[in-house]
Amino acid sequence: MSIVTTPATVRPREERGTSRIQDTVARRVVGHSLERPFYTDREFFDLDIAAVFTRHWLFVAVDAEIPEPGDYTTVEIGPYSVIVVRGDDENPRAFHNVCRHRGARLLDGERGSVGNLVCGYHKWTYGTDGALRYAPSQPGDFDPGCFGLKTVHVRSVGGLVFVCLADQPPADFTEVAARIEPYLLPHGLRRAKVAARTDLVEDGNWKLVMENNRECYHCDGHPELLRTFFPTYGYAGKDIPAPLRPAHERYLRTGAELRETYERLGLPYALIEELDHRTTGFRIQRDALDLAGESFTKDGRAACRRLLGDLPTPRLGHLSLHMQPNSWFHVVGDHAITFSALPLAPDKTLLRTTWLVHPDAEEGVDYDPDTLLAVWTATNEQDARLVARAQRGVSSPAYTPGPYAPTEYQVEAFCSWYVARLREELRR
Amino acid sequence: MTGPLVCRQVRDVTHDMKTFVFEASEPALFRHDPGQYLTFTFEIDGQEIDRCYTLSSPPSRPLLASITVKRVPGGRVSNWLHDHLTPGDVVRARGPLGGFSTARHPAPAYLFLSGGSGITPLMSMTRTLYDLASPADVVFVHSARTPDDIPFRQELELMAATAPQIRVAHVCEDDGAVERWDGHRGRLTLDVLRQIAPDLPRREVFTCGPQGYMRAVRRMLATAGLPEDRCHEESFEVPAPAAVKATGGTSFAVRLSRSGATIACDTGTPLLEAAARAGITLPSSCGQGLCGTCVTTLEKGTVDMRPGGGLRPGDVARNKILLCCSTPLEDLVIDA
Repeated sequence: MSIVTTPATVRPREERGTSRIQDTVARRVVGHSLERPFYTDREFFDLDIAAVFTRHWLFVAVDAEIPEPGDYTTVEIGPYSVIVVRGDDENPRAFHNVCRHRGARLLDGERGSVGNLVCGYHKWTYGTDGALRYAPSQPGDFDPGCFGLKTVHVRSVGGLVFVCLADQPPADFTEVAARIEPYLLPHGLRRAKVAARTDLVEDGNWKLVMENNRECYHCDGHPELLRTFFPTYGYAGKDIPAPLRPAHERYLRTGAELRETYERLGLPYALIEELDHRTTGFRIQRDALDLAGESFTKDGRAACRRLLGDLPTPRLGHLSLHMQPNSWFHVVGDHAITFSALPLAPDKTLLRTTWLVHPDAEEGVDYDPDTLLAVWTATNEQDARLVARAQRGVSSPAYTPGPYAPTEYQVEAFCSWYVARLREELRR
Repeated sequence: MTGPLVCRQVRDVTHDMKTFVFEASEPALFRHDPGQYLTFTFEIDGQEIDRCYTLSSPPSRPLLASITVKRVPGGRVSNWLHDHLTPGDVVRARGPLGGFSTARHPAPAYLFLSGGSGITPLMSMTRTLYDLASPADVVFVHSARTPDDIPFRQELELMAATAPQIRVAHVCEDDGAVERWDGHRGRLTLDVLRQIAPDLPRREVFTCGPQGYMRAVRRMLATAGLPEDRCHEESFEVPAPAAVKATGGTSFAVRLSRSGATIACDTGTPLLEAAARAGITLPSSCGQGLCGTCVTTLEKGTVDMRPGGGLRPGDVARNKILLCCSTPLEDLVIDA
């Protein structure tokens, strides 16, 4: 006699997980922060990688990091590693960092310069076009043509390098690129020089890093930044709190002056804000800075004597660009700063910050690196502490989503863009 | 096109240059980019010697492969070829190799600059563009000692006369034995270059010749404001004859500074191979200058190097060499 048990009521774990995720996503309340699992759960983290990071254009590097053919940088996107290399034809190329032989990590350095891409395991050698040029001791019928590196979509926009892991990248990126490029091109970022690059691992979910960047409601925590950054960012004119009114009046005056400069120099400055309701969400605007209005420094004066793009005046305020899902940028007269956030774990995010200056600007002669880096280094560290604080808080079972303030409308735009991506993914 | 080649014909080009025409021993077509070279193995006096020679023939005439060799005083291989290689002889070759080619850098307008035997890759490129009726505009400027030293003179004239977009100009230092030279005289200068090609900055430039000539051209092009990525070069440096050793070849001493060993390496042998013969195994893989495994620093001396893309100009500027495709031009010290 045998006893057969059939666990008919137990569904596979994965299916259970999916329906739990679907319920959580479906429950999301517009205007409120996300529920705890979005920030803490491995299942949500994996879904974020699948729904957001493998489907959309991500800012990962600047052209200036790979100025010459053979220069490369590698970037980790969830479980993926991507090589971005300047090809022999001067165009950026991107490949999966996986050897076609037995899958070894091809390049293990974060960046460098190579003649060809040579796997450190068995010396399989690929050109910068990804073609397999040489594989040692293969039989006569071996066809190297079948073993080129797997390509990743890559596109340089005004000196900023974006990659997309999807087979079919979002079609609207071409249009977005064409609209933001005129804002960027006058600054000559493609030929700029990397003055510094820092990697900061923040103890928080990547969405908290992005949400924190998308509002200035917390900006009193940034004393260095606030010297030049108008704290009225995100406020509608009529809702300016009393303590901020003098600053707001200065903002309006400076803005009027700056618009004359922009018109004279032919620099596009109009606000375009399409953060939500499109696949490649973005916001771009040229706007005033306080004090001398030239740069992110103590007194607002330029930190670098050579101006980007050799523009005739340092007093240009700042060009600010936000891109969904993972980046933001500030370009001032004398330098540019790019920020790329990449998820490492549910509670760990890499923030890569790069400072760019004129290609001929000499460290110690035209700029003092400490002065150049001071404001955003301090701001990044302050933000990292705030993000870690937010992460610790939302990890408590007692946490329930709370309402975004009106000045946090860009945070809501980010979350609603994000939730739309998850819904798309769950429908697939 | 690796394998044995049969010499079919030997043609005189100038008083000290000959073209050797080869056919594959088994029926086959030669596929290569114009400007690429083959590594030949010649058996000379019972010893195998490797030498790289550019194909002067174009890929548009794929049934034959030709090399054009200038007799170098004291040069072991070039003299042997001139004096001994005859139709019916068999040699071995590997290739094609090299990235110095219009095929890699297609452009609407070219400037070909050559000195001495550096004419061979540019000859292959020009013949190819001519054969394929390419619309590309070509200005071909060759520098020679005298008009008697201009290789392929009538052939170049014929191409220039029959293809409207090909122009040829020569620069000679001196009169010939019987011919007075009334063309551009002296050495190539930027002024002469601008007279011949006023639209110089819009052209993709290919330069090949001796080191001194190449250095001069590099300076001219930089002065003219040509971006580096539009200038391509290949150098054949003919080693100065040095002490002839018992082996019969020009041989140099190569000191490996880290291991303390000193090995002999003749002008026809890549350093990697010379080390291997001396019982020293150095890291290497492809042997074609592709993978960069055998990269080392040249601490002293000069080499003739033909990398296949495994090194960048910046690496070369830092005295990096690939041992598999570098042959000595003098005594060396390498970091190995």
